[in-house]
Amino acid sequence: MTEDIQRMDLITPVEKATRLLSQKDLDFYEAFASHSRSVRVTILGKGIKDTGSSVDLGMGVRAYRDKGLGTAYSQSLDPADVERTVATATAYARVAQPDPFFKGIPAAPKAPDVRFLFDQEVTDLGIESVSGFAKEMMDAVRDVRPGPMCEGGVSVGSTSSYLMTSTGVSVEDERTVLSGSISATYRQGEDIGSSSEFEYGVSLADVDFGWVGKRAGQKAVEQFGSRRVGSAVLPMILVPEAASSVFFGLMMAISGEQVVKGRTFASGLLGKRIAPDWMEVCDDGRIAGAVSSATYDGEGVPTKMVSVVTAGILSTFLHNSYSAGIAGVETNGHAQRAGYGVYVGAGPTNVVVKAGQSSLDEMIVETKKGVLVTSADFTPSPVTGEFSSTIDEGFLVENGEKRHAVKNLMAGGHILDLCRNTDMMSKEGRTFGKGHFFPSMRISTIRFSGD
Amino acid sequence: MGLSHLTLDGHLLESAVRRGTEQGASFCEARFFEERSSNIVVENGVAKTLGSGIARGVGIRVIVNRRWGFASTNRTTSEEVDKALSDAIGGAKAIATEGIEDAQVVNQKSASDSVTHKAKVSPDDVDPAEKVRVMLELDRIARTYSDKVKDTFTTYRDTVTTTLVHNSFSVRVEEVTPRTYAYCRVISREGTNLQTGIEYGGGVAGFEAVNRLQDEQFSRKAAEKAVKLLSAHPPPTGTFSVLVDHRVGGLFMHEAFGHNSEADSVLAGQSIIADKMGQQVASEIVTIVDDPTIPGNGHFVYDHEGVRAEPHMIVRGGVLVGFLHSLESAAKMNVQPQGSARARSHQFPPIIRMSNTYLAPRDMAFDEILQDMKLGVYLTGMNSGYVETQKGQFTCKVEQGWLIEKGELKDHLRDVSINGLTLDALKNISAVGEDFKMDSPGTCGKMGQGIPIDAGAPHFRIDGIVVGGRQ
Repeated sequence: MTEDIQRMDLITPVEKATRLLSQKDLDFYEAFASHSRSVRVTILGKGIKDTGSSVDLGMGVRAYRDKGLGTAYSQSLDPADVERTVATATAYARVAQPDPFFKGIPAAPKAPDVRFLFDQEVTDLGIESVSGFAKEMMDAVRDVRPGPMCEGGVSVGSTSSYLMTSTGVSVEDERTVLSGSISATYRQGEDIGSSSEFEYGVSLADVDFGWVGKRAGQKAVEQFGSRRVGSAVLPMILVPEAASSVFFGLMMAISGEQVVKGRTFASGLLGKRIAPDWMEVCDDGRIAGAVSSATYDGEGVPTKMVSVVTAGILSTFLHNSYSAGIAGVETNGHAQRAGYGVYVGAGPTNVVVKAGQSSLDEMIVETKKGVLVTSADFTPSPVTGEFSSTIDEGFLVENGEKRHAVKNLMAGGHILDLCRNTDMMSKEGRTFGKGHFFPSMRISTIRFSGD
Repeated sequence: MGLSHLTLDGHLLESAVRRGTEQGASFCEARFFEERSSNIVVENGVAKTLGSGIARGVGIRVIVNRRWGFASTNRTTSEEVDKALSDAIGGAKAIATEGIEDAQVVNQKSASDSVTHKAKVSPDDVDPAEKVRVMLELDRIARTYSDKVKDTFTTYRDTVTTTLVHNSFSVRVEEVTPRTYAYCRVISREGTNLQTGIEYGGGVAGFEAVNRLQDEQFSRKAAEKAVKLLSAHPPPTGTFSVLVDHRVGGLFMHEAFGHNSEADSVLAGQSIIADKMGQQVASEIVTIVDDPTIPGNGHFVYDHEGVRAEPHMIVRGGVLVGFLHSLESAAKMNVQPQGSARARSHQFPPIIRMSNTYLAPRDMAFDEILQDMKLGVYLTGMNSGYVETQKGQFTCKVEQGWLIEKGELKDHLRDVSINGLTLDALKNISAVGEDFKMDSPGTCGKMGQGIPIDAGAPHFRIDGIVVGGRQ
């Protein structure tokens, strides 16, 4: 990307927008602009399929009048488009009706920078380097076993953004991200071994592309010989990749307006026990060098570390200013802005689950009969908390040993049962995006549907 | 009140294609995309947000030295499009020469056409205040259905998408497509028991789509569903015969089978039917079609490679007879493309996508199918689904179900999902009904690209499906 890097002036159009908004008899307003560049290489089949690069820029405007919200965005920062965007948002604000829950948008406290969210080395990467990483992943898959068919790719990008509001917020942000992912499929007669792996980070050193390919290949080979198993109530062991969906499901259910308006299964759980007293979960948006970190959240409020599950008790919800206003508390810096597309919600940043005392090997050894899950999505219905999920990749465990891969198997239940029935947590785990951390965990009983 | 239509200098694409071939591209495609949208969010009787947006830009795709290169920009000046062309060519040239899939495309006939799908009532001609009034009324119907209704969310969205495709085969086609949607979500409550009911509708149409949904009382149906689910039970677990409605059936056809028929997955060794052309892959009562030419959310006249769309027969009488193709897969498999390549926007290259995918109806009445079932589950309404094409394993999450005992519908069920192995499931389709419907307008995600699709089916029965739950 080297020769293409040029700092886009986001401040001038945003200032123009806010100047125009200030003349429109609004209660609150904000303008946000971003500019990003990305380069990607796609892998499909036996090799690299194509390369791509894109430039994305745009501006979003939010205008509040009598508690009604009008929004508009445009993928252009040209002065005429800025004027049109402001005019549309303002006109819509006059048609929108008062939202009784809206209290205002936050002011502008300052916070020290979260460091290492931008790496110049990543912005300097060209297509040659990126395709080299893709080739490294493919070669690693082939080294595990010849003849793989693959799907995946490598992507690198940088984004700069600027937010300015009527309450004095003026926040610039600049970040990089790179990622590598690959799924590997091997065939052995009619038998298929298939799996995938990924990693992402801020800096080049965060992603070992050879490791990603090797892991995908090794996991794929382990899937040969998968068999159906019968319906039963059994213990379930989750590796970090599978455990992550349990905690993300919980985090989404305790985030933003839905939880404070009583619309999720977690709405009445603040201050209540939801897990064993040794379970600790925090959300930390200030981890240096993590993809999900930021100095300020999507509304320009400083991010912070919050303890979410303390000694098994749900100790806080994750707020933006809107949900905090409803709950009568201060926002804890979890507003999330989806680019210039004007939607601002709330959600987790880096989810960190405290490691336990056990190990994955101990969990397997101590399980007479159960299922080891290496890939599955347990994200529940946010309203009911119920889930019914396919075990995408897993193994039958018998007498303390992995027996064979499973297929055509589902697990069902309530996400709170997964939390409450966790009886072992490993001391080792996996860090994702240099911020999230999940150990392996064992759930004492869960209902499986199979043959 | 929407943002004004932004035009593009027509010569910009043409000159980009010309410069691309002059600079050594054996194939060059320049595609303009613009999407104007507006939306309304009504929550519990309050139209609290009105929004509008415009996305636009140019995507350039080239083949240089048998390598693909792609670049996009949303700055539609001559200078920026030139830069995107240079990036695309530079990207193709920069890829190492080993470990690469050779790029090629099938030759196209030159074409020049412009298609505008007419909206009976253009959303641009409807005053935002009138749109708000209609959505408030739909929301009111849901909100007042029962005192067990806790919350209602009724949303509206319209888009007008303009796509211009120019390529080095002298293809120059333009298509302007309006789409209008409404969505209603209701949360019901009884004590601590919360349930959700959802209804939605719309597609390639103007504001008349919302008027039609109003006539069908779609928001009342969402509320009725949410309230009735309060007394439903979790499903039994195990392997059952399942009877599915047009929405679950459409989801099954799309997820479990449709993705396997996309020729890019076939060529990449990611499809379980890659080597099964001409073979029996399903019960002989199964005929599966993907047809962009019929009304539905996946309707279009030209795909995003400028190929005129035709119906795609995939399975006839249980035998695999076709895959879905792009210019590239058609070249590699020596067939003619029928228009299946689409892109989410200018920021992505076209890839092979389904459009309106369906199981063709046969002749059984719903009651006939039901009567044959001693023990099973009847499933209606789709939530979501996904497939691992390379393994042939699918998962469908459905809205609700009923236990079937001795040919009768019994207990009402909630939080139901099904899982199966595609080829086993297709061979185990044992009855196909006559009551065809297609009204599942949705968005299908693939390789980071969400694209409008639809899916349909009559009622049909599949034996040996795993039903997941907590009972």
